[in-house]
Amino acid sequence: MLLEVKGLNAGYGFLQVLWDVSLYVAQGEFVALVGPNGAGKTTTLRTIAGLIPPRQGEIFFKGELISKLAAHKISQMGISFVSESLNLFTAMSVHENLLLGAYVVRDRQKQLETLDFVYHLFPRLKERRNQLAGTLSGGERKMLAIGRGMMSNPDLLLVDEPSLGLAPNLTLDVFNALETLRQQGVTILLVEQNVNTTLHITDRAYVLEQGRIALEGKSKELLENKHVKEAFLGM
Amino acid sequence: MARSSVQSTIVFEVLRRLTTAAGITIILSVVAVIVSAVVAGPFTLVNAIVTGGMWALLAVGLSLVFGVMNIPNFAHGEFFMVGTLVSYLVFTPLHKYLRQNPSSVLSTVAPFAGIFAALLVGALLGVVVEKLIFFQLRRRSREQWVMNSFLLTVGLSVVMINGHQLLWGTNFKGIPRYWDVKPIDLFGVNISMDRAVALGLAVVTIAIFWFFLMRTRTGRAIRAVAQDETGAQMVGIDLNRIQVLTMALSSALAAMAGASLLFMFPSYPTVGLKPLYVAWYVVILVGLGNVAGATIGGFLVALLQTLTSYFIGVGWEDVVPTALIILILLFKPSGLFGSEVKGVWEQ
Ligand SMILES: Nc1ncnc2c1ncn2[C@@H]1O[C@H](COP(=O)(O)OP(=O)(O)OP(=O)(O)O)[C@@H](O)[C@H]1O
Ligand SMILES: [Mg+2]
Repeated sequence: MLLEVKGLNAGYGFLQVLWDVSLYVAQGEFVALVGPNGAGKTTTLRTIAGLIPPRQGEIFFKGELISKLAAHKISQMGISFVSESLNLFTAMSVHENLLLGAYVVRDRQKQLETLDFVYHLFPRLKERRNQLAGTLSGGERKMLAIGRGMMSNPDLLLVDEPSLGLAPNLTLDVFNALETLRQQGVTILLVEQNVNTTLHITDRAYVLEQGRIALEGKSKELLENKHVKEAFLGM
Repeated sequence: MARSSVQSTIVFEVLRRLTTAAGITIILSVVAVIVSAVVAGPFTLVNAIVTGGMWALLAVGLSLVFGVMNIPNFAHGEFFMVGTLVSYLVFTPLHKYLRQNPSSVLSTVAPFAGIFAALLVGALLGVVVEKLIFFQLRRRSREQWVMNSFLLTVGLSVVMINGHQLLWGTNFKGIPRYWDVKPIDLFGVNISMDRAVALGLAVVTIAIFWFFLMRTRTGRAIRAVAQDETGAQMVGIDLNRIQVLTMALSSALAAMAGASLLFMFPSYPTVGLKPLYVAWYVVILVGLGNVAGATIGGFLVALLQTLTSYFIGVGWEDVVPTALIILILLFKPSGLFGSEVKGVWEQ
């Protein structure tokens, strides 16, 4: 198992957000985590990425316990987190942001190969390589954040709501990019509001409600699930 | 018709640029440079440039620590003091020894030994301060960080000043000059070797530092932490390492500035206060956390001080920059070169 989360409790200050969350992602899988606003999806990803310490429970990555490691160590182990707020380096160029994405990659040749791949995936970024990240459009920022996440050649990509605030055609671009990555063999854990599309492109999915895993299963089967249809698909 | 309107838009654009805060300052300082060179003589100008280089070194470090670690460092001047002290302690015995055993090669090198020792001790002290003080505070609580770290730096400053007084007393520990050689003749102006070397060191150090920040992997990581701490952790940057390094660099630059100016500022417990205030003038003038602006600002403030003491009188040189800062903050609170590049979703 690539990623395994067992009985995770986490939160902020006095507020506990996650209650006994367990999930796994196998090598090469494309897994979705969906749920209503405030359910704790972002909190789950932030905890896996090491930005919030878990209160209880364990997180294993490639068989190693990572729930006590600092965020930069977890990133160095091969988990890339593309956050909702993107956390781009706004006063640096697109190119420098990408180079920083490859901060843990010492091999210059490898860096350049991945850079080529990212520019190929998002030609837009190549056109704007010298522009400051802070001056990019919303869609371009998403692409840059995903591209930066790819630059370290991660084994697991955590992506938080890439379609948020994007026009439908740009959303499609972003989903296509994720599909391409997935075909390249990248394992992805995706958080999305856009439940319909997400369940169509992913293998498996978890439904998080009020900080607990309410449902899990094959994405195709969840599409037929009565509760999912009523709560998320408006049917 | 069309052509003249194009021309007028260009003229308009140029005028607009020149009337921004940064534009006005640059025009005014160019005028000031010319006026001071003509009226006060080129020597005043040289003096302004030499001290300007040192203010720039101090301001760059101060600005970096604020940008990367969000610490308003009011103990920065004490690292300048440590620099003067270390260089004095290393250079004086060497100098005595050389008086008895003259050697022209060693006499040329000895001052550098003092300055280099100051640089090293400054860096080391920076590491100790980060590990012993700021790291501990960070681990305990990040609430009210700017205020708490500010108070800690004030305390640190008091401790360092009194430490100096306790161990080495309050008397002036200075030297008349580092190099006993004839002044250099530059465009008809005599510049003492000490001044020339101080300026050279400042310029070279700032250039190397600039290259390091802009072009190397670690320098880029420092800037990344300044811009987005969470983002930096996400790409695998070890915050602790960057924080230690930043503090060490900033203190080393301050100590080096102190050491190279030992011939102007003899070492005594509170010698760091004036450089501290000046470095803060510069940083407030150009905008907090703006390293590039701090370099230009260092020279601007020195020029302003020199002109003030020449035209208004010695003793007034701190009044005019302060008044100017009040004016600037009234009209442009983000500082002269304060940038507006911030992401829509950031901060
Ligand atoms: N930094 C924080 N401090 C305190 N509470 C927080 C913080 N971040 C999130 N919360 C709270 O934790 C709960 C879960 O938030 P989270 O961001 O994980 O939800 P989400 O499922 O990602 O929602 P959305 O779909 O709106 O992004 C919410 O009630 C939120 O108010
Ligand atoms: Mg969220």
